[in-house]
Formats: sequence, C-alpha cells, structure tokens
Amino acid sequence: MGSARSDSSGDATAPPAAAYIAHKILIAGGFGSGKTTLVGAISEVRPLLTEEALTTASVGLDDLSGVNEKTTTTVALDFGRITIGSRVVLYLFGLPGQERFSFMWSELAFGALGAVILADVRRLDECFPSVNYFESRKLPFVVAINCFDSAPRYDPEEIRHALDLDPGVPTVLCDAREVASVKQVLITLVETVAARRAATAGRRG
Amino acid sequence: MPPSGRWRPRGSGPVVRPYAVTGGRTEPSDGEVLDLLAFVVATGAVPTDDHHQLSPEHHRIFRMCQQQITVADLAAGTSLPIGVVRVLLADLIAQGTITVVRQHPAAERNPTDVLQEILNGLRAL
Repeated sequence: MGSARSDSSGDATAPPAAAYIAHKILIAGGFGSGKTTLVGAISEVRPLLTEEALTTASVGLDDLSGVNEKTTTTVALDFGRITIGSRVVLYLFGLPGQERFSFMWSELAFGALGAVILADVRRLDECFPSVNYFESRKLPFVVAINCFDSAPRYDPEEIRHALDLDPGVPTVLCDAREVASVKQVLITLVETVAARRAATAGRRG
Repeated sequence: MPPSGRWRPRGSGPVVRPYAVTGGRTEPSDGEVLDLLAFVVATGAVPTDDHHQLSPEHHRIFRMCQQQITVADLAAGTSLPIGVVRVLLADLIAQGTITVVRQHPAAERNPTDVLQEILNGLRAL
C-alpha cells in the first residue's frame, strides 16, 4: 500500500504492535432466535454492558414515569471469543434484537468481518430489520435458520425467497446448540466474505 | 417491618450508578473513542495518584492491562459498561501508564491470507 510511515517501524518510540489480529463477527436475529445459545455453543459467553440512548421508539414500552431525565439504559450484549491458531482471535457480538437498539449497531458493525442473522421460521419477520441493515451497510452476511424442534421445516431456498435475499447471500440450516453446526455457519460466512473480497479485487483490476 | 427488605436479587447489577466511578464524566478526557477491539497495554510506568483521583476501578483496569487486552475484554472482565471503561482508560492513557497498541502488521498487509487462516482455524476447531 506504500504507507508513508512504513519506514518508521523501527522507531523505538513507536507504540508496540498487537500480538493478535482481532476480528468482529456480529450475531443478529429476533428475540429468542437463539443468539445466546449460538455464541455459547462455540465460545465462552460473557455479558458486555453498554449504554443505549432511549429513543422515542421505546415510549410506551419502557416505563419512564418519574424518571424524565433518564435518556440511557444499560443493555447487555452476548460476547464471546474464539482463538484461531496463534495470532487470530474472532470476537462474536450478539446484537440486541429490538430495533430500538439499532443506535449501537453502527459501532458494532464498524470494521466487522460479517454477520450471521439467526432466523426462527415461525417469526421470520423479525429478521427484516437485520437484513435491511446489513444490506444497506454492504456488510456480508449469512442467514442461519435455527431448527427448533417444534418449528416446521422449510427449504432454505423458500426462506431466501421469503426474505427477498440477493443471490450472493447464503441461507443455511443450523442447530445453534451444536458446535459443529455453528462452526459450519461461521465457515460459510467467512467463505462469503472471501468470495466478495475476491470479486471486488477482480473488478478493481 | 418488611422482612428481608434490604436484600436484592442476585444478578440485579451494581448498586452504584455506572458513571459514579468516573466522577460523572461520560466522555473520555481526550475525546477519542477507542474501538471495541483496540488493544491496550501497560507501558511499565506506575500510576501516580498524589491527588487520589484514581478509583479502585482505574487500578483494576491497570492491573488487567499488564498483558495486551482489548477494550471489549476489559469491559466484560470488569462488568463495567464500555463507556465507563473508555473514560477510565483515557485517564490512564493521559497519565502515560497505558498505551494503545498498533494493529498487528499482518492485518494491514495480507487480509486475504488472514481470511484463509480463519477458515483453516475454524475447520480445525
């Protein structure tokens, strides 16, 4: 890339370099779609506290009587990490499902590798905010249909049609409780990211 | 007298409001918002606290930074909100006791190689 600062890398005053490459993967989906289960299947989950602005969308939902000054609320994200080899760490962030928390999505989406949208076929409409959001940010994503024991089975292609997804967006069936299944979802996502980068690089030249 | 009125349910969170530990400040002193996955590390300098401005949380964060750690890991490890951790970190960075670490050199040069490494790593899990 011809960085003008590359010749200063031997400078004793330069800050140290990171021992790891850290990458973010977002896990989105409606309330109860299995995000916590998915993150917990493949990594140790810890809650990550963040503060969210209360928007007008929460009027009538959050009881604010007597606390008119309150403009933020604490939201806990599911946070997990997977160490890959000796120098890469994947960080999984479960996005709060409610649309009224989309304020914080932009920070989480910044620099993210891609996203998994976990879908429950009984409440497919809850995926729409995430699908719209990742499409508008041009962030690569996959739709993973969480196969709940009690839910009807659909062909992934039917789901793709119902969500009106672009051909480049994979839809896969998964069991968020199973490591092997979650692993496959993440592999599909990273393959999608790689394919898109290769296509972009090809167009450039 | 209500029985056991002073007990609070397990998991109800801290009694102290989160920004009490920052003295009510909600913005980092240098105005710079650190990325969630930015790595920080102790510089080797010892925190000076002649005016008792550092809270126990400052010291706790400082201790956790003896090895490189991300802002997100600090927040999860201390159970403090990310915004609070950023304010406390900015204080320690201003003191020169903690510094932000540069990106891993391979992350800048070979994004495609890194993707392949992630794929291989996931398959081997």
